[in-house]
Amino acid sequence: MDFNYTEEQEKLRQEVHEFFSSNLPSDYRPRGVGGTGTTMEQFKFWMDLQRKAGAKGYLTPGWSKASGGLGLSDMEQGVVAEETSYWGATWPGSQGIRVCGPPLHVFGTEEQKSTFLPGIAKGEVIWYQAFTEPDAGSDEANVSLRATEEDDHYILNGQKTFITAPGPADYLYTLARTQDVIPKHRGISLFLIDAHSPGISYGALATMGIFTVDIFFDNVKVPKTRLLGELNRGFYHAMVTFEFERSTTGAAAGARRGLEELIEFCREEKRNGQPLLKDPAVRDLLADRAIEMELSWLQGWFAAWHFSQRDKLGSPPPEAGGLHTKAVSADRAKQLINAMGLYGQLHRGSKYCKYEGRAAMGWMSSRSTHPAGTIEVNKIVLAGRGLGLPRIPAKFNKEIRAAVEGVEV
Amino acid sequence: MEFTFTEEQEMLRTSARDFLETECTEKLVREVEDGDQGYSPELWKKIADLGWLGLVYPEQYGGAGMNVVDLAVLYEEFGRAMFAGPHLSTVVLGGMVVLEAGSDAQKADILPKIADGSKIIALALTEPESAWDMKKTWDPEGVTVSATAEGDNYVIDGAKLFVHDAVVADDILVVTRTKTGGDPADGITLFLVDAKSQGVSVTPLITIAGDKQCEVVFNKVKVPKANIVGELNGGWAPMSKAMQVATVMLCAQMLGAGQRLLELSVDYAKTRIQFDMPIGINQYIQEHCVFLLRDVNGARWSTYLAAWKLAQDEPCDFEVSVAKAWGSDAHEHACWCAHQVHAGVGYTVFDGVVPLYSRRGKTLQLYMGDTAYHKEKIATILEGWPGPEKPKGEPLGLWKEIPEVRWIPEWWNEFDKGT
Repeated sequence: MDFNYTEEQEKLRQEVHEFFSSNLPSDYRPRGVGGTGTTMEQFKFWMDLQRKAGAKGYLTPGWSKASGGLGLSDMEQGVVAEETSYWGATWPGSQGIRVCGPPLHVFGTEEQKSTFLPGIAKGEVIWYQAFTEPDAGSDEANVSLRATEEDDHYILNGQKTFITAPGPADYLYTLARTQDVIPKHRGISLFLIDAHSPGISYGALATMGIFTVDIFFDNVKVPKTRLLGELNRGFYHAMVTFEFERSTTGAAAGARRGLEELIEFCREEKRNGQPLLKDPAVRDLLADRAIEMELSWLQGWFAAWHFSQRDKLGSPPPEAGGLHTKAVSADRAKQLINAMGLYGQLHRGSKYCKYEGRAAMGWMSSRSTHPAGTIEVNKIVLAGRGLGLPRIPAKFNKEIRAAVEGVEV
Repeated sequence: MEFTFTEEQEMLRTSARDFLETECTEKLVREVEDGDQGYSPELWKKIADLGWLGLVYPEQYGGAGMNVVDLAVLYEEFGRAMFAGPHLSTVVLGGMVVLEAGSDAQKADILPKIADGSKIIALALTEPESAWDMKKTWDPEGVTVSATAEGDNYVIDGAKLFVHDAVVADDILVVTRTKTGGDPADGITLFLVDAKSQGVSVTPLITIAGDKQCEVVFNKVKVPKANIVGELNGGWAPMSKAMQVATVMLCAQMLGAGQRLLELSVDYAKTRIQFDMPIGINQYIQEHCVFLLRDVNGARWSTYLAAWKLAQDEPCDFEVSVAKAWGSDAHEHACWCAHQVHAGVGYTVFDGVVPLYSRRGKTLQLYMGDTAYHKEKIATILEGWPGPEKPKGEPLGLWKEIPEVRWIPEWWNEFDKGT
C-alpha cells in the first residue's frame, strides 16, 4: 500500500503546473468553454491555450510521440489530468482527445491515423461525438441515422441531437445504421465525417448547462475510406473509448479547485456580521464536498492504478464512485443555492449577483445527470454487469411496450 | 501509488476469516450478546494465542511488531464476523496509550499482560453531560471528572458514562481534568485505575447492540501518582492519538460488516422468488444493492488511506475524519438497504444476521464520533485551507461579466450551419 506520488510524478506535475500557471492570465475564471455565455474572445483564448498544450503533448500524454503524445504511463497520464482539471481547463477539442482518438488508434487505417491524429494531439481541431439521436438516448443501439452503400461512398440520412458543442465543429465522430439486424447493436458502423460536408446542417439546442446542437443529414456523401474499423462493428469499436479512458483522476482535482473557490468566497462574504464559513448549513455543504473530493481522489487513482496493472489483474471490480458523484450533485447544488437566500437565484452578470452566479449556474446544470448515461441507466448497468443481478430479458420488451401502449403483440 | 496489501496482510486476512468463521459463529455472537460479560473468555484466550492481542506492540513486549494497516485488516474481519469483545478497549485505547506515553516500567508490566490475554482495560472518557453534545463528546471540552492531588495519591471523583467493557475490565483508563481554564486540552491527565479500587462502581447499560457499555462512578477513588500514564496535564495528546487509531478501526469494522451485508443482500436478491421472479430483477431492489456497493466501496480506501497515514506517522486529522464521516453514514445506509432487500427477514430478532449487523452497527457509527461530529472537524480544517492558486500570466480582461443572459455562445453566430 502506498498513497504517495513518485518523485518522477511530482516532477511531471511541476512541469504541467508551471505551464498552466504561466499561460493562464491572472484574472481568468475557471469556467471552461462549454458553458452558456462563452464569448468569442474566451473561446479564442481556450483554442490558443489548447494549441500551446498540444505543442507540449499535454492534450494526449498517453499517445506515442509519433502520434503527438508523450508516451506517458497510465499513472503519469493521471497526473497530467489532475493538473489540467485543477486549473479548470476543459479543451474545446476534448471529444477528439478522449472519445474519438482512442478507437482511431486501435481501428484506424494508416491513412486515417495520419490524417486525423496529429490535428487532435496538436489541439487544432474540434470533433463532435455524434451518437445521440431523438430515439437513441440511453438506448444507444437504437441508432437510426441511415448509411446506405453506393459505389465508393455511403449516403447518410437522419438526425443527431443533444450533441455537445464546445466550439465550431471540424469533424463528426458518428454512429450510423448500416444494417437492420437483431440485436440492433450488430448493425451499426462508425464514420469520420467532415463537419461541413454538403447536406449537413446544424440547429442550436441550448440547455441549462452545456451548449448542444441538432445535426441533420440530408443525402450526405461519406467516402468509404471514412468508415472506421469494420462495417457493422461500430458499436463495439466505440466501447474501446471506455476501456481507454479510465483516467478519472482529474475529477477530484477539479473538485478541489471548486472547493477552494467556494471556501474563499465563504471566507470573504459576511452574513449577520460573520463569515458565511461559520454558517452551519454552509459548513455541512463544504464538509460533504470535501468528503466526496477525497473519495473521488481515491477512486480515480484506484482506477488508474488498476488499469495500469490490467495484464495482471484483468478487469476492475464494480465501481460506484462516479454514480455517487452524480447521485449527490443535485443535492450539493441545492445546498449552495439554498444557502444564498434570495441572492441564489441571480444569474451571473446581474446587479447584486454574488459568487459570479455560480450557485444558480451550478443548480441549473445539476438538473440533469444524463452525460455518459443517466443515473438511472448507470444503476441498472451496475446492478446487471457489476453485481450480476438479473435483468428483464430483451425478448419481453415488445410485450411490455404493447401492454403499456395497449396494443396486441 | 499502490492499492495492494502485503503478502503478510493477505495471510492475516485469510487466516482471520477462516478462524472467525469457525470460532465466532452467529450462535456465539448471540450468546455473548445475551451473557453479561460482553465477550467469550475462551475465544479471547484463543485469539491471544494467535497473537492478535499484541499485534501492534513491539516484540519486546510480547507483540508481533505489526502496524496499524495490519491491524485494520484484522478489524475488517472482526467487522465481518461481528466479533464481540474488549479488543478495541484493551489493545487500542488502553494499550496503545501505554505504548505511546507510558513509562518503561508501565510498558514492561502492562503490554505483555494485554498480549497474553491476562489484562483487560476499559477506557473511561465520556460523561453524562458530554454525551448529550456530540460536539464535545470526543473532545477535551467534555472532560470534567476531576482528579485532585492528595499526598502521594490523586483522588478521582465523578461519573463516566458509555464506558465500553467496564464489566470485565481489570484496569480502567480514566481521562480526568487536573487543571481548568485556558486550552481545554491542557489539563487532561490519564490514570490507570484498578477496577477493584474502593469507590469504583460499575453498572452496565442496556444497549440495542447488546454490548456492555457501562456507567462507571468514581466516588473519591484514591489512585497512586505512579498510575498516571504520560504527563500530568498532558494526557490529551497520547489519548487523541490512540483515539484516531480506534476511529479507523471502527471504520474497518464497518467496512467488513458492510461488505458482508452487500454479499448477503445481492445473494438474497438473486435467490428470493416472488411473482415467479427473483426479486433482484426489480429496479427498486437493484438500486438498494447498487447503493450498498457505493457505500462499501467508498469506505474501503478512505479507511486504508487513514490507516496508512497513521502507520507512516503522518498528520491525518482530515483523512481520519473523512473515513469516519463517510463510514458512519454509509454504514447506516448500507444497513438500511440490507433491511429493505431482506424485508421481513431482515427485521426479525432471533434469526438471520442482518438485524445483528444493524443493531451492532449503530454502536460503531456513534463510537469515536458520528458523521456530524467528523463533518464539523472537516469544516474546521477547511477553514484553514489556502485559497485557489492564482496563475501568473498577464491579465487579459476576458472574463468580465455581461449584464444579460446568453444561452448561446458567441462562436455560434459565425459558424457555418449549412442551411
